[in-house]
Amino acid sequence: MTTFGAEESFRVERAAPDVQLWKVRSLALRLVLPLALPTGILALWWAASVNGWVSPQVLPQPDWVLQTFLDLLESGDIAAAAAVSFRRIAEGFLIGASLGFLFGLLIGKSETADAYLGPTFRALAAVPSIGWLPILILLLGIEESLKIVILAKACFVPMAISTAEGARTVPKGLTEVADILKLRARTRFFKLTLPSMVPFIASGIRLSLSQAFVSLIVVEMLAGTDGLGYMMVWGRTLFQLDIVIIGMVVVGVVGFLLDWLLKQAESFVRRGSGADA
Amino acid sequence: MTALAIEHVSKSYALNGVQRPVLNDISFDVAPNEIVSIVGASGCGKSTLLRLIVGLDEDYRGSIIQGGVSDTKAAKVGMVFQDHRLYPWLTVGANVDLAFDASNLRKPERLARVHHYLQLVGLSDYEKAYPKQLSGGMAQRAAIARALAQEPDILLMDEPFGALDSILRMRLQDELLSIWEKNRVSIVIVTHDVEEALYLGNRVIVMEPDPGRIRDVFEIELARPRDRADPRLAALKQRCLATLVGREALS
Repeated sequence: MTTFGAEESFRVERAAPDVQLWKVRSLALRLVLPLALPTGILALWWAASVNGWVSPQVLPQPDWVLQTFLDLLESGDIAAAAAVSFRRIAEGFLIGASLGFLFGLLIGKSETADAYLGPTFRALAAVPSIGWLPILILLLGIEESLKIVILAKACFVPMAISTAEGARTVPKGLTEVADILKLRARTRFFKLTLPSMVPFIASGIRLSLSQAFVSLIVVEMLAGTDGLGYMMVWGRTLFQLDIVIIGMVVVGVVGFLLDWLLKQAESFVRRGSGADA
Repeated sequence: MTALAIEHVSKSYALNGVQRPVLNDISFDVAPNEIVSIVGASGCGKSTLLRLIVGLDEDYRGSIIQGGVSDTKAAKVGMVFQDHRLYPWLTVGANVDLAFDASNLRKPERLARVHHYLQLVGLSDYEKAYPKQLSGGMAQRAAIARALAQEPDILLMDEPFGALDSILRMRLQDELLSIWEKNRVSIVIVTHDVEEALYLGNRVIVMEPDPGRIRDVFEIELARPRDRADPRLAALKQRCLATLVGREALS
């Protein structure tokens, strides 16, 4: 009975909710909670560098890093590096994702094509993009084409897998309707296959871009002369760890924002296509 | 003259390597403008039969002939399913328009026909709406409009009102009959609702399961419009149910 009483008084407390306050509180919670961990890390970092637990050459103080960040921002170095990196992602994505889409469509729609090409594709896809680097460096050198090929491959695989999945899962009931109505091949593709694949294509795009972003940084670190990844390697060579840390933070934040944006776009597309209805 | 002739149709599925018969020697004819109801317990293969007729499944023995012997062109077959199966990304109007895709109609003509068929099912105001904005009954009416827009000679309906509440179901049955009066099409309707079968059909075929076969055929020679409370319908219902349930009680 005591529990019951306690619950009752709890209910009464919640019975007169201040909606405005509640909204502010939930917003604050949503903003504050995810920031708790970064704040903790920042505090630890500060304590470690100020108290000399780690040599300042290895772990510079946060305020130095901030200063360097502002300098780099002012001189336009970060913007230039980011612009180079984004142009590469865009090129690699355009090539890789469109080829991946076509290939996915092929193996998703045709069982024969899947029987011939599927296993090879899956085996090659299992080799991470970076695993291709040594042989591609020998073939292509460390020029721009190397990065584009690596990025295109990074985009190709998730796009092909998602597209194939989408092409295979066109709802059977709707396909039967198309059979009964004797839809032409063109109509069938544009009004049935393609729309039903939209959610899969959207997640393919999101996975492709995040894959591309990760691969890009690694490629630029291993075989680059510019871009965000190179900026980090360059900082390490100069033993300017502040630059490395800035690079990491920029990459992390940009990657996070990219993923968030694409997720929003994906759920928007899903709602629009009626796939969740 | 028949719109549809089904002769000695049998079908079996392979289940764990064993052939399991689902339809056994089904034969019946459907006359032009006739409504034939098929009623039976679930598992008697009545939906399978419709899939064979419409051509979604071509693996069967026996023969299914659409259109009369004198008719040289193959009859058009339309189908309405229990779920509306509208394309969720197309408007109601665009869904109905799919029915004209195989035809050579010009755009204005297609548009006019879409209007016509939506008006027929009472959805004129919803041409621009998306399927998820419709209620279950409206969506089903849109599906009927799409099937009718094909201008089929034979309309197959697989428990078309099965998912709707009973009041809505009666209304749609009456709507279907008035559409049928205007369009003159043969209808084969599969249902597990005996009252529905009797109210709609010129003929009611009672099927029994394991394997699916025709148990009995009732001719319903009552003039339309029929009265749902007609004692003759009640008597027929008794007989139908006795045929259906009697068999189940045995097994």
